[in-house]
Amino acid sequence: MVVHRGAAKKRGRARQPRPVRRGGLRPHDPRARGGAAGGRLRPGGRGDPGARPRQGGTAAGPPGTVSPVESVVTLRGVSKRFGDLAALEDVDLEIRQGEIFALLGPNGAGKTTLISIVAGLLRATAGDVRVLGKDVVEDYRLTRRAVGLVPQEINFDPFFTVEEALRIQAGYFGVRLSEARLTEILDALDLAGKRRTNSRALSGGMKRRLLIGKALVHEPRVLFLDEPTAGVDVELRRALWRYVRRLRDAGTTIVLTTHYLEEAEELADRIGVIDLGRLLVVEEKDALLQRHGARTVRIALSRPVEAPPPALADLGARAVAGGRVIEVEVAAGSAAGPVLAAVVAAGLEVEDVDTRRTTLEDVFVRLVSRGARGSGA
Amino acid sequence: MISYGLWTLFAKEVRRFMRVPGQTLLSPVVTTVLYFVVFGWSLGSRLRDVEGVPYARFIVPGLVALGVVTNAYANTASSLFVMKLQGTVVDLLVSPLTYGQILWAFIGAGVVRGLLVGGVTWAVAGAFEGFGLAHPLFALALVILAAILFAALGLVTAIWATSFEQVNFVPTFFITPLTFLGGVFYSVEMLPPALRRFTLANPIFYMVDGVRFGMLGISDAPPWAGAALLGALAALAVGAAWAMLRSGYRLRG
Repeated sequence: MVVHRGAAKKRGRARQPRPVRRGGLRPHDPRARGGAAGGRLRPGGRGDPGARPRQGGTAAGPPGTVSPVESVVTLRGVSKRFGDLAALEDVDLEIRQGEIFALLGPNGAGKTTLISIVAGLLRATAGDVRVLGKDVVEDYRLTRRAVGLVPQEINFDPFFTVEEALRIQAGYFGVRLSEARLTEILDALDLAGKRRTNSRALSGGMKRRLLIGKALVHEPRVLFLDEPTAGVDVELRRALWRYVRRLRDAGTTIVLTTHYLEEAEELADRIGVIDLGRLLVVEEKDALLQRHGARTVRIALSRPVEAPPPALADLGARAVAGGRVIEVEVAAGSAAGPVLAAVVAAGLEVEDVDTRRTTLEDVFVRLVSRGARGSGA
Repeated sequence: MISYGLWTLFAKEVRRFMRVPGQTLLSPVVTTVLYFVVFGWSLGSRLRDVEGVPYARFIVPGLVALGVVTNAYANTASSLFVMKLQGTVVDLLVSPLTYGQILWAFIGAGVVRGLLVGGVTWAVAGAFEGFGLAHPLFALALVILAAILFAALGLVTAIWATSFEQVNFVPTFFITPLTFLGGVFYSVEMLPPALRRFTLANPIFYMVDGVRFGMLGISDAPPWAGAALLGALAALAVGAAWAMLRSGYRLRG
């Protein structure tokens, strides 16, 4: 696991700790960044208030850790076994206040196990788990008030309407849901029209939004979203992303697990990659892409070549597509200029130039396959 | 002081069974009333008095107790088990409710349902046999104790069970046989010695006998001893349910 220290400063952007209101988020709060006055999830609604650039943090200490002041959730040496199966092994991780942290990993990697331990659904076999500095077992009443969980599996109680479900969930947390707050949540999740509809009669997407609403009723400081957009159509997914950004901008720390690497790339400030119960890397998203990433420059030629000229071959170029295209991988942080200069110097006639940036998916696949090799899998 | 969280869960559990009154209230009342009509009125008219009480009247306390315990059990067992199946138990497990709050909210709702069914059963029987109660407070206390005991047993079963078959195991193989053999329809004085010893070893006999004392003023065993036994069993069941909730057994993995 590697954390780039001061990655943000290197890019000339300093992360400002976001003030977190007591009582958590209110997406419609005019104080919320992005002016989320409307806050509807409805696709095609308001602009994305969370589009401002996010900065990297100042990671310190061992991999996956940050300064204790910023830390909202802390895991130290956490392991979880189910019989012979090690679902988590010696995981250290700190989640910072106000960030969107994406936990990536293949099926069975340990993502859900990890967040379930923090939320209180599972108990760790070993290690220390804290939320806002409080132990999640000893001080569970305090930590659970600070945490909201949107579970992966859709669940609903067919006896109750949307409004009742929200009021009941709030009641479990000792919160009497005011009419204003109820309306706010219903509006934000585009469920106002379904207020008195039985949960059973909701569509899959609506049920998922209701789960989000239930996780928000007590205004948690940290919201865990376990595969929040699994099985959700593209429009709704993007609407959920906007809402998640808005929550983050209102001060809520977001931890999401996802299979959709595009989702993590779109939303996350930091990314953790987990596989076989081990946290392989925790890093700022941009730094991760920068460090593990590379660009592929594809040069389409007017006339095919049998092999790249020596100057290009020295740069690692290869001829593809019957010699009509030359591909060169340019390391992260390196310029593509020398490649283009070598093409011109070799007298090749260029038809088109295309650069493909390494995606998070490329990085993820590389990390996970490396992790699997390392574990002998 | 009852917290808002406990009240919310309790009220939700009560609303849940009130949403389907035909299934949760009317159906058990109909069953119990049928027992009363068939055994009490049809056959009872041919039987002699039991301990100086007409047979139809004699069986009312047992039928009330039967309605109370089966419904107190059914409410907690089915509700928590269905929550486990549907995944909505997550809502509780991530909440800051204490184990005691969860426990008493469920038990409270089970007691309410048990008392409603028992009360309606008593009202229907009372229309035929009269509403007189010999020791009303004792009867009420015993019925509540019995409801607590079986509501707690319902929780234990729901936590332990992994299938509906297991949930139904307790009422099918435990509650119903022991209740029927616990003196609902007869006095131990009517039994041969061997069966009498068996009945006296059945804890449900003391519950039925105690409720009968409270309602009719007659009993086969010392009523306070029966109440003490019921109280001890209720404490044991509540303790077991609390320990299971606290340990996270089959709930928190």
